Amino acid sequence: MVHGESTVFAVSELNALVRELLEDQFAEVAVEGETSNVRVHASGHVYFRLKDASASLSAVCFRSDARLLDFDLSDGQRVVARGRLTIYEVQGSYQLVARAIEPAGRGDLERAFRLLVSKLDQEGLFDEARKRPLPRYPRTIAVVTSPTGAAVRDIFSTLARRFPCVEVVFAPVQVQGERAPFEIVRALDALNDHDVDVVILGRGGGSIEDLWAFNDESVARAIHRSRAPVVSAVGHETDVTIADFVADRRAATPTMAAEIVVPEREDVARRLDAYAEKSRARMTARVGLEKRRVAELVRSYALGQVRGRVERGMQSLDFALERVQRALVSAALARRAALDTAGARLAALDPREVLRRGYAVCHDESGAHLVRGAHEAAAAGRMRVTFHDGVVAAAVEGMEIPSAKEAAS
Amino acid sequence: MKEKPNPIPPAGDDAPSFEEAMTRLERIVADLEGGRYTLEESLQRFEEGIALGNQCRRMLERADLRVRTLVEAGDRLVVSDPTETPDEEPRA
Repeated sequence: MVHGESTVFAVSELNALVRELLEDQFAEVAVEGETSNVRVHASGHVYFRLKDASASLSAVCFRSDARLLDFDLSDGQRVVARGRLTIYEVQGSYQLVARAIEPAGRGDLERAFRLLVSKLDQEGLFDEARKRPLPRYPRTIAVVTSPTGAAVRDIFSTLARRFPCVEVVFAPVQVQGERAPFEIVRALDALNDHDVDVVILGRGGGSIEDLWAFNDESVARAIHRSRAPVVSAVGHETDVTIADFVADRRAATPTMAAEIVVPEREDVARRLDAYAEKSRARMTARVGLEKRRVAELVRSYALGQVRGRVERGMQSLDFALERVQRALVSAALARRAALDTAGARLAALDPREVLRRGYAVCHDESGAHLVRGAHEAAAAGRMRVTFHDGVVAAAVEGMEIPSAKEAAS
Repeated sequence: MKEKPNPIPPAGDDAPSFEEAMTRLERIVADLEGGRYTLEESLQRFEEGIALGNQCRRMLERADLRVRTLVEAGDRLVVSDPTETPDEEPRA
């Protein structure tokens, strides 16, 4: 573009021309300077000036880009702003339209980060092989985080909701600022003197600078020498720190750390149900098998020869069944109590289920004492017999005890 | 073995931890399924299993988190008393 001296422009023409030039030549530019006159307009656009010792320029960061800034822009910050140049034609002044702004020195932070990562990596601090498994059901959980952030609230409420039968040792620490690495290291080391099963170390989201304590070498080493496995939960899903690399497990958020560390109470209750049912089925089958075996004996030998054995066998099997039932009733009662407080599902081990299979429970007339055998029944004289569908009063008319001595085994 | 210089008392006196109770219970269920015990041995295991299950349920019932805090005591950090059960003293 060549313009002879004879060409006379209108102001708006000239501004438009310069604008074209400027936008063409400086479509992508990065400039470092100190912020001043930072103003957030009601529209959300942020206006500010960038200056150094001898010069300044005006800059704007539009709302859609300002929203993405991971730190609060304020006066007196050294920043690197990236964007394009344009002209505000009304005034003929040029300005920087900043698309991205970051604190100056972030490049240095990133270099330091990469250096430390490779150093610790070579030392083996990130080795998968040295990562410890987490306890399935921890008894004591240490929580190392800020006492004021959302993280501590999220962790506590998640633990309380999922599995409140744990003890928490809370280590309040600063999670950002100069003192943060010292406090985190001191807390982690102090926890080594206590009997904790797992440690949650974390904080909520923030800028790279806010999270920097979790990239500190001393923090990495304290995690490494922690006696209990450490679950890191630093920032949001996309924030990755050195603490995450060293930790035995990394959680994307503090809430998820708590979810990793404890099981869901309802799942555990269901597992307990399954174990009880499995055992019951096993024992019932087992006693049935033994009964058939005794019946076999009766058939295959002259009764007189094995009379004692058969009687002992029958007695002990009845006793065995009684024990199975007693244990199941206790389980059903415990379950009932758990249901009342935890509001869980209905009992699978209802004692009525046992009665429904043809068994009955005998109490003395007062109903206060269980009648456990023929002798007790004879002594009681009258009994209350509980079936699955009701209770009958019964009178004992006689007793057949084959051999009292053998029965007492 | 890890040495445990300053143990925090378990939730229920000397009761086994939930993890210990669950692990033992799982062993028992496996033993019962294996079926290589006498009737009497099986019964004993069954009864122990049911008792362990009851114990686990009671532990699951506990509604409130017990929280202790690491606090500064001179130049070191110690664990404070629990907030939920003030009647229980730390053994330290």
